[in-house]
Amino acid sequence: MMDTFLSISAGFNKPYEPIDVIYQTRILNMSQQESKVSRRQFIGGTVGGLVVGGLAGYAAGVSTAPPAVAPGVTATVTETATVPAPAKKIKAGFVYVGPVGDFGWSYGHDRGRKYVARLPWLDTFYAEAIPEPEVGGAIDRMVAEGADVVFTTSFGYMDPTVAAGDKYPDKKFWHCSGYKRSKNVGTYFAEFYQLYYLCGLAAAGVTKTNKIGYVAAHPIPEVIRHINAFVLGARELNPNIECHVVWLFSWFDPGKTRDAAVSLVESQNCDVLAYTEDSPTTLQVAEEYQGKGKPVWSFSHYSDMTTYGPRAHLTGQVVDWGLMYEYILAYQYAQAFRSMDLWWRLGDGGDTVDGWRAADGGVTLAPVNTAIPENVRNLIEKRRGEMRAQIFEPFTGPIKDQDGKLRFATGQRATHDDLWGMDWFVEGVVSKLP
Amino acid sequence: MSLLAHTVQAGTPFLLGTIGEIYAERSGVLNLGVEGMMAMGALTAFMTSFYTGSVGLAILAAMIVGLVLSSIHAFLSITMRANQIVSGLAISILGLGLSGFLGKPMIGMTAPRLPSFSVPVLADMPVIGPILFSQDALLYASILLAVVLWFVLFKTRPGLNARSVGENPAMADSLGLNVYLIRYVCVLFGGAMSGLAGAYLSLLYTPLWIEGMSAGRGWIVIALTIFAVWNPLRALLGAYLFGGVYALQFRLQAIGIGAETPQFLLMLPYLTTICALVLISAESVKRRIGVPAALALPYVRGE
Repeated sequence: MMDTFLSISAGFNKPYEPIDVIYQTRILNMSQQESKVSRRQFIGGTVGGLVVGGLAGYAAGVSTAPPAVAPGVTATVTETATVPAPAKKIKAGFVYVGPVGDFGWSYGHDRGRKYVARLPWLDTFYAEAIPEPEVGGAIDRMVAEGADVVFTTSFGYMDPTVAAGDKYPDKKFWHCSGYKRSKNVGTYFAEFYQLYYLCGLAAAGVTKTNKIGYVAAHPIPEVIRHINAFVLGARELNPNIECHVVWLFSWFDPGKTRDAAVSLVESQNCDVLAYTEDSPTTLQVAEEYQGKGKPVWSFSHYSDMTTYGPRAHLTGQVVDWGLMYEYILAYQYAQAFRSMDLWWRLGDGGDTVDGWRAADGGVTLAPVNTAIPENVRNLIEKRRGEMRAQIFEPFTGPIKDQDGKLRFATGQRATHDDLWGMDWFVEGVVSKLP
Repeated sequence: MSLLAHTVQAGTPFLLGTIGEIYAERSGVLNLGVEGMMAMGALTAFMTSFYTGSVGLAILAAMIVGLVLSSIHAFLSITMRANQIVSGLAISILGLGLSGFLGKPMIGMTAPRLPSFSVPVLADMPVIGPILFSQDALLYASILLAVVLWFVLFKTRPGLNARSVGENPAMADSLGLNVYLIRYVCVLFGGAMSGLAGAYLSLLYTPLWIEGMSAGRGWIVIALTIFAVWNPLRALLGAYLFGGVYALQFRLQAIGIGAETPQFLLMLPYLTTICALVLISAESVKRRIGVPAALALPYVRGE
């Protein structure tokens, strides 16, 4: 089984059985349960091979190389499709660091869990608000309750998850946002930096003060990468833009976020606010200013938050973990588990039509406000398509850091490791890193 | 929005919670359930506003829920004479958990929020008009309440009764005061104020419902009560000091002061608490003011 998969990831010249098994079974089961099969599911079934193969290759070679997509494979997949005898039911446990009601990180994962819970061959259960030191016990309980696979969804769960993998060699584990893997422990993550780049373009389209702000959670590479992408996007359109950053040192604190957002507007005259924090508070603050006649703009984060600021909402980054969980679990249902590093960006997990990704997939852009000038909106769409097709990469040189040092030479693209270890601000960020 | 206006806004939930807790503690009942009552108040206000569209009704409902929760504490600690610390902690945990559970359908919803309110004439004054006189009604009400509650506590007979029950319940009882009744009233009032503080959060400060949105404010209220030496007017000072520090920590970051060590700026509220408590202790030793003598001691008639 393993060999088959490896060969698929290497190219499209071997039989497709496991993938067909996965997707054909899924469609059958879903269509029995629900009267209509959505386009996504249908396409997912017929060209699932493409997506899976592409991603497997992607996971191996990561960011720069676009997956080799061979036209005409669709037909082959459909023809060789076989429906196997149903495999054993799977029980999946999910461990969340926050309450599922945070409307941010854990909420998003739980929405993903609910999405896959519809699969008739899957049972799910979860444990919420598990502090990072206690995750080992939570995993033990889940295994004791019969979990076949456990998803741990906080960076700090990394080492205990790998340890649990050694402790329970016949169970599977998936750790979100980490980098340690083993035979039965995989990692997965939905990456937003491309979307932040698009948000940056939107910001440049509306700013009057040429000052944009960022309410940031913790100074870690992920957040720094997002700030940098946001600023690179803004400065593609307007190189005079500067960005001010305020740190919360908290992933979730609406009160602090509000104080931070107000401070950026009042003290620095920023009129576009991006953020990494798990509540819609920044957007609400922007909306409040809009209500007072002062145009301040903000974004969605994790979920579409338009309702929190209908006037102030420009666009934003949205993740659908459900697609990712479905993808991961389908492998296991087909008894084809393989430890992988899944790192989804624009287009990954989306519909594929003739080798071209037609939808954003697991990570996607929130609705784009028509208050953004039309030419900017067109540019956003253009860049979005280019990133989906992996023609355009935001971190392509020449890129200087804020001290003027050249970090990427002209034409040089950031590698996966460059992005994962980013600890410097690009030119245009005024604030210094803590 | 000036730093001053920002300060007063950030300080208001602290003020509302603290003046309520002062009454409970003045009567001799320590209620550590503020965090839970605040969370339930925030949820109730948001839910009521969501379903009825009436902000006034939402505020009322939040106060009632705070009152109901505190009645559990009152029953346990006054009638059943349970350990007040344990009972209060239980209320906090209950309120946080229950609000998270009941609030699930409210996540991601928006509800009518408290409108800002301009004081006629004064709001039209240049510069200070918009800063001081076009805030929300609840903010003005909280300042007024602090003054009125100070007056009641120190200048009227009911206030004297409440204080005497917290200082020496046996003596108060012998003078014909109903210790249990007075303690009940004070604790229930404290609960209602905590609920109101929660309503301020979910209707105005961060107008949404998110699990755990009280974010530790209830615990700061407990500290502020001590900082205020159980005096509603000093609560005003303490709450705005805290609000100011909250506002300032990010303003300083935004203008680049201490930007390379924001951790230090974020410590400010807690450093302020420690410094303030040290100063207060020194002062209370000097002026012999301090904890109500019977605080956290259950009263048993005839012992």
